[in-house]
Amino acid sequence: MEVVNLTAFAILFGMAAVLVARVLRSGSVSLWNGFFYADALSALVVLLSAFVSLVCSIYAVGYFRQDERDEVFQEDAEWGGLFAVHKLREYYTLTPLFVFSMILVALANNLGILWVAIEGTTLASVFLVMFYGRETSLEAAWKYAIIAGVGLSMALFGTILTYYSAHQVLGTDTLSGLNWSVLAGNAAQFDKPTMRLAFILILLGYGTKAGIAPMHTWKPDAYSEAPIPGAAMLATGVLNCALYGLVRFYILNSKCLGPQFSSYLLIIFGLLSIGVAVPFILVQKNFRRLLAYSSIDHSGIMVLALGFGGPLGILGMLLHMTFHSVTKPLLFFCAGNVQQHLHTDLFRKAKGGLIHSMPLTGAAFLMVTLAVAGSPPFSLFQSEFTILRAALSGGYFALAFFFVAFLVLIFSGFLVHITNLVLGEDPGIPRTGMCSWKKYSVVGLALVVVAMGFWIPAPLFGLIQRAVGIVVGGG
Amino acid sequence: MHFVPNPELGNRIITLMAALVLVLQIAAVGQRWIVSSIRIFAVQSFLLGAIAAVIAYFNQASHLYIAALLIVFLKAGLLPRLLERLVERIGIRREIEPLINVPLSILIAGGLTLLGYVVAESFYHPEETSARAALGHNTLAVAIALFLIGFFAMVNRRKALTQVLGLLSLENGLFLAAISLTYGMPLVVELGIFFDVLVAVMVLGILVFRIRETFDSMDVSKLRKLRE
Repeated sequence: MEVVNLTAFAILFGMAAVLVARVLRSGSVSLWNGFFYADALSALVVLLSAFVSLVCSIYAVGYFRQDERDEVFQEDAEWGGLFAVHKLREYYTLTPLFVFSMILVALANNLGILWVAIEGTTLASVFLVMFYGRETSLEAAWKYAIIAGVGLSMALFGTILTYYSAHQVLGTDTLSGLNWSVLAGNAAQFDKPTMRLAFILILLGYGTKAGIAPMHTWKPDAYSEAPIPGAAMLATGVLNCALYGLVRFYILNSKCLGPQFSSYLLIIFGLLSIGVAVPFILVQKNFRRLLAYSSIDHSGIMVLALGFGGPLGILGMLLHMTFHSVTKPLLFFCAGNVQQHLHTDLFRKAKGGLIHSMPLTGAAFLMVTLAVAGSPPFSLFQSEFTILRAALSGGYFALAFFFVAFLVLIFSGFLVHITNLVLGEDPGIPRTGMCSWKKYSVVGLALVVVAMGFWIPAPLFGLIQRAVGIVVGGG
Repeated sequence: MHFVPNPELGNRIITLMAALVLVLQIAAVGQRWIVSSIRIFAVQSFLLGAIAAVIAYFNQASHLYIAALLIVFLKAGLLPRLLERLVERIGIRREIEPLINVPLSILIAGGLTLLGYVVAESFYHPEETSARAALGHNTLAVAIALFLIGFFAMVNRRKALTQVLGLLSLENGLFLAAISLTYGMPLVVELGIFFDVLVAVMVLGILVFRIRETFDSMDVSKLRKLRE
């Protein structure tokens, strides 16, 4: 099943690249009578989802083989050896379903189908969260399922209201009444009060899924309980999908009401998320939860950038989304290596000095920490800087101050934790060889991260610029 | 002569049934027995199916018949059956201790209904005298009230299963909003939503079962290991 998964995701990535090429050539592609529709924005999200699932599936092979060697799955005596096989089969069946929903989110023309697909990502990933079957995993899975369920029902309400306000303009054509290609053209005439309420509900709903404060509480639990490759996909793929949904409605809304209304809301929630992440990152005891708070921080940054708006803000947001999706999995992989090596995810028990027992992971961990916390020369610095410029040119000076202050605090907190973990005296933990699947996925992705700091492939940048054009100009 | 259904009559029937749905929702808040909560949910879903059928009949929106059939089959038939079997298997019958006592809960539910009307009022355009505007006005208020009360029930109840029921009745409110505002979503979307609800209940059912096995209880407030 490993092979099937790997080839499937490799093919998927290839197809995503083909889609990008077609979108770059002809603007937008639609299929099956407009059931599927892809413009630059959706092509970007598809490409990122495909990339993330490919690297995660490569890493997963090494990760689960290590798990099998460590006999993590053998806790249940009655299952015996069968249990591990059963568990792996579960993972390799759920992941394609999960990825399928993520791709469907980006490709669905119909905003209702978009909702269905986002709900699908939740349903497929609940079992990933409770994968290890510990008491804590059950708790995390329950929290995740209920909070995401309620959140998404709000998003559904928002979708219904959007449909309602479009319905009055477009008449009773129920087949294409929720299709993006139809809605985008007519958004200006929609009923304004309804759209206002709809956007609030959508923001709360998809915001829950993206883990924006104060609806973020499921995130640390789910991320620290899911197996590493699954958690990495949750942190990047699902985040992108939820933000994608939000951006689509943002476009409709700013066409209907002007950007003012949605901007204020987005800025408030975005800044709140970054702010909430700060104290938890500073005092964090558990490095898997640290990653989750970092993810809350980054989704906050993206929402904030969307709120600043304008070509610069949107460019910053989409760049951030791209760089984040490339960088974040590496952070998760390093944390996973450390956890599998030490069999703990608490800083207290880890004692530091990892660079001696696992030189490769240690070095990569340090590097990717710098990258994720947004220090130059890594790419996330560029996108955060773009967002800052958007804030200044939009005249949000006080907000820009808070933004920078929060980022500096997060940077220092992150760096202190990870340097304590990686550097220091050799505690005398024996070195063990890393399986080559894990090694190559870490090294390969690290190379990509470094390369992205200096060079963005021209087609990718062209795609992002086109997507910016869609969000700003709406067409 | 071709028989033209009188939309005025249809509206009255729908409003009456929507009121019944609301009463059931409030009754569910005061309910102590899990099995009867499930039954109330089944009856409520059946009524929603009937409302969808009536709307379909009086407005010639034939695709709504399919949605009506689906909701009756799924939410009034299949899901309650599944949930009842789950209740039997984990062997609990009674005692869902709410955080807030029953009279106060019902009072709060009443307050939320009022809130629903206030919110719905803002959508009401008196200049639009079409039948749809009048219909939307009343049932939208009920739908918002269902949504809010379902939300309240989820917060108020600590048993895993009753939280699932709360989520389902919240979803019922959404369905009511969709059929009364727009005569239903496009059919593909409707099908997708039903599919999601079905899978969600199965996923949550498995979770409830596992929680019961692992913790020997369904009390969600015992899930408190993951704290900062």
